[in-house]
Amino acid sequence: MASDDIFDDAFLKKLDYLYIMSQKIVAGSSRAERKTKLVGSGLEFADFRHYTHGDDLRNIDWKIYARSEKLFVKLFEEEEDLYIYFLVDCSRSMKIGDELKWEYAKKIVAGLGYIGLSNLDRVSIIPFSNKLEGRLPPARGKSQIFKIFDFLNTLEAGKETSLKDALKTFVTQNKRRGVAVVLSDFYDPSGFEEGLNFLRYHKFEPMVVHLFDERELSANFRGDLRLVDCETGEVAELTVTEGMMQSYKKAWEEMSTQLQSYCSKRQMLYFRSSVQVPFDELILKIFRAGGFLK
Amino acid sequence: MRFTGIPWETLGPIAAVMFVLITILYIIKLRKRRIEVPFSPLWNSILKQSSKQNDLWRNLRRILSWLFYMFIAALVVFAIADPHFNDEVSEGRHILLLVDSSASMAANDVTGGANRLDIAKQRAREILKTMGPDDRAMLVNFNNQLQPLSPFVTEASILEAPLREIRISATGTQYIDALVFASESLRGKKKGELILISDGSGLDSSLLKSLDIPKETTLRHLKIGENGDNIAITAFNVRRYVANKLDYELFIRVQSYFKRPVNAQIEIYADDRLVDSKPISLSPGKSFQKFYPSQAVSGERLEARLKLTSEDARDFFPLDDRAYALLPKTKQTRIQLVSDGNLYLEGPLYLNSNLVTTTTAIADYDPSIPYDITVFDRVALKTPDAGNFFYIAPSGEFSPWPVQKTMNDPIVTRESKNHPLLRWIGMKTLNIGAADKWTLSSKDKTIVSSALGIPILVTRNDGDKKLVGLSFDVRNSDFPLRVAFPVLLINLIDYFAYGDGGLMQSFRTGETWSVPVSKSAESATISVPSGETSTAPVYEGRAIFNGDEPGIYEISGEGFKTIKIAANLSNTFESNIEPSNLELGEQDILRDTSALIFERSELWIWAILAAFLLLIVEWWTYNRRKTV
Repeated sequence: MASDDIFDDAFLKKLDYLYIMSQKIVAGSSRAERKTKLVGSGLEFADFRHYTHGDDLRNIDWKIYARSEKLFVKLFEEEEDLYIYFLVDCSRSMKIGDELKWEYAKKIVAGLGYIGLSNLDRVSIIPFSNKLEGRLPPARGKSQIFKIFDFLNTLEAGKETSLKDALKTFVTQNKRRGVAVVLSDFYDPSGFEEGLNFLRYHKFEPMVVHLFDERELSANFRGDLRLVDCETGEVAELTVTEGMMQSYKKAWEEMSTQLQSYCSKRQMLYFRSSVQVPFDELILKIFRAGGFLK
Repeated sequence: MRFTGIPWETLGPIAAVMFVLITILYIIKLRKRRIEVPFSPLWNSILKQSSKQNDLWRNLRRILSWLFYMFIAALVVFAIADPHFNDEVSEGRHILLLVDSSASMAANDVTGGANRLDIAKQRAREILKTMGPDDRAMLVNFNNQLQPLSPFVTEASILEAPLREIRISATGTQYIDALVFASESLRGKKKGELILISDGSGLDSSLLKSLDIPKETTLRHLKIGENGDNIAITAFNVRRYVANKLDYELFIRVQSYFKRPVNAQIEIYADDRLVDSKPISLSPGKSFQKFYPSQAVSGERLEARLKLTSEDARDFFPLDDRAYALLPKTKQTRIQLVSDGNLYLEGPLYLNSNLVTTTTAIADYDPSIPYDITVFDRVALKTPDAGNFFYIAPSGEFSPWPVQKTMNDPIVTRESKNHPLLRWIGMKTLNIGAADKWTLSSKDKTIVSSALGIPILVTRNDGDKKLVGLSFDVRNSDFPLRVAFPVLLINLIDYFAYGDGGLMQSFRTGETWSVPVSKSAESATISVPSGETSTAPVYEGRAIFNGDEPGIYEISGEGFKTIKIAANLSNTFESNIEPSNLELGEQDILRDTSALIFERSELWIWAILAAFLLLIVEWWTYNRRKTV
C-alpha cells in the first residue's frame, strides 16, 4: 500500500472501530439474515394464498381445507443475501480543487463497504458520471475489502454528471435488487429526480449521500471574473460581490433542500455532509439513522 | 492661456506615453480572472436575478471608467505645463535683499525667532518664496563689511543655503556702504526692489542724504526688532599702573540704554573664578565706570559679566553683557649691577620683588651673559651690540660719552618734564658735588642738564642698544637720600623693559587686528572663541586678521609661543539696539512686503485637486461597481 494512499493503516483501524460501533447499533440482528419481500422457500411463515395449479402440494394447509374446504397454500419469506450498490459520482465536479469531495466519497464507500462485507452482504461499487465508469462486481466477506480499495484507487475522473443516464444504465444492468447508495454532489444540470426515480421504480432502496465542500460556498474570489464550469466548460462572466456570494449560498441551500425534500417525501434516506466533517461521523450518522444495517 | 512649466515639446511625448500606458493598463484591468467552479448553473441563476442592465449600459460604464483615467492624466499633464491666464502680469523684477547681520541683530526682543537675525532670515525666506518665474533675486549680507552672497538668480532655492549660513557678526553696521552697493547693483535694472532687512540700530539717516537710489527702484525697509532695552559693557581693559608698571589695574565701563533707572550687577571672574561682584544703579542713558586696582595676579583670563537685577526689566542684547581681558604675565626683569659696591644702588634694586638683581664685580664682568638691563656704576666696560645699559658716572675707553672735564657743584636748571624717566620726579633741587661734562653725539638726548650745559641725564638710542647715562656719582650727591632716587630707578626699568605703552588694550571686534608674533613666521593659526580655526598671514612680524566674535583668541604658529588676546564688542552704536526706521528725505520708503508678493493664479493646484477628486470618484464608483 502506497504511503500516500488514503486507505492506510490508520484508515483500516478506523474501519474496525466503525464495524464494532455498527455491531452495537444493530445488536441482536442475525448475520446475513435479511428478510426480503420476496416470498419463497424460507422457513418463516409469511401469508396464505389460494392454491393455483402448479403450486407445491407440500405447502397446502390442510387444516384450513378441513375447516373451510378451500385450498390455501402457505407462503414463506425468502431469505437471501443483501446487495449493496455504491453508486459513486466520479464526475469532474467531485474532483475540483484538491479533490476533497472525491477523497471523502471514497472513504465513505470504503467504510460502508467494509461494514457490508463484514455483515456478509454483497458489496458492489459502480462509479458514474454521465455513464457508468466501471464496476466492481458484488463481493462478499471481509477479505474482499482490499479489492474495494484497489478498485477505488484506480478510479479515474469522468465527465459531466448525468444521474438520469447513468442510473438508467445501472438499473438495466443490475437485476438483483438491493440498497443503492448514491454518493454525489448532485451538480447535475438536468436534475436528480429522474435518476433517483429509476432506482425507485426498479425496486432498489435508494440512499442519498449528498456531499459538499464548504469552501465552495464561501469562496474568497471577488470582482470581475470569468466563471468556467469544470464539467461543461460553460462560461459565466460576472462581477462577484459579497452579496452575490450570499445569493450563491442561498441558491445552493435551495437546491439541497429541494433534494432533501424530494428524498423525504419518497422515504429515501438522505444524508448531507460537508467534506470538512470527519467521514466516520457521517458513517455513524448513517448507521444511527438505520436502513443501511438491518 | 500661457504655459510656463515644462515645454510642450517635452511634455507632448510624455503625455502620449502616459495615455497609451493608461489604456494598456486599463485593458489589462478589463481582462477577467478565470475561475473554475463546480456548477455554473447556480451562478447563472444568480446572474439572471441580478442582471438588470443591458449590455450597452455595461459597456458605456466601462468606457466611462477609462475616460475617468484619461481625464485624470490630462489634468496632471495640464498641471505640469503650469498654465496661466494671458492677462496675468509676470514681468520679472530684480529683488536685492540686504540682510543686516551686525551685532545688534543678536538682540532677542523678537517673537517667532531666537533673535532679530532669525526673523530677518524668515522675512527674506518669505520674500524668496513669493518670487515669480521671471523674477531675479540677489542676496547681500552686511555688517561693518559687505558680502554679496549671490548674483541675480532666477531660482530662489539657490539662495536658501547662503541665507541659512548668515550668522551674527559682533561688529558695527556700515549702512552707507551697503545701500550704495545695492543702489549701484540695481542701477539700470528693470523693476528694482531694494529690500533692507535690518533693525536700523545705529542708523544715522543724515549720513544717507547723498544716497542716489535709482528711479525705477522701490526701496523697502523691513524693520526688525521691537525694543531697545539694554545694558552693555562698553569698555573693559587692563593696564599697567602709571607709577608702577609692574602691577596692573582693570577698568570697566557700563552703559545703560534703558529709558528708566535700572539695577545691575558687575561680576569679575578670573579664570572662571568670581573675584569681585558689585551691584550698581544705572540712570537712564548714563554710564558707570570703575577701576580695579592692584591686580597683581599673573597670567589670568579675566571676564566681566553684567547682569540686570531689576526684576521688571529685561536686557534684550546678551552679546555685550560679557567682556574679556587678559592679564599679561608679570615679567621679572633681570638686572646686572656692575659695581664694586654701592649700597645706595643695591637697596632699591634688591627691594623690588619684580626685579632679579645680580651684582657683578667689575673684574668679573662678562658681556656675553645677557641681562635685561646692565647698570655700570662708575665704570664703562665693553658691551654687546644690543641691550639696555645704565651708566652712572662712566669713565674709560668704553664710555659712550667721553669726559671733557669734571665740573663741581653743577646746578640743574633744565629738565624734560614729560620724559618718562622724569615721571613724578624732579631733579632741579639736587645737590651734586661734581659732574662730568661729556661730549655728546647726535643720537643723544639730554633729559636733565645744568645751567652751564653740563648734561646730567642723557639717553641714547643706538639701533638695538638703548643707553641712559647719569653724569655724576650718586654717592657724591644727596640723590640717594631723596624719594626721587628709587622712583628714577623704576622709571628707568619701565623705560628700558616696557617702553611707554601702559595700556593693555583689548581688541575690538569688527576691526582688522595686527598682533605681533614673530618676524620669522609666515602665517599664524587663529583659534577663535567658538573653537573654529583659520589661518592668518604674517606681515613684518605681525599676524593680520579680522575678528568678529567677542572672547579669547589664540594665535599660534612656527617660531613663537601661543599668544592670547581678548576681544570685545565695545561698540556703543551696536549696543544701542533701539530699532529705527530708514529715512531718506523725499524718497518713498515702503515698510512692508504686502505689494511685493507675486500674485499669480496657480491653476496647476486646481488641476491637481480636480485630478485627485476624480480619482476618488473613480475609486468610489469602481468599488460600488458603478463603472465596472
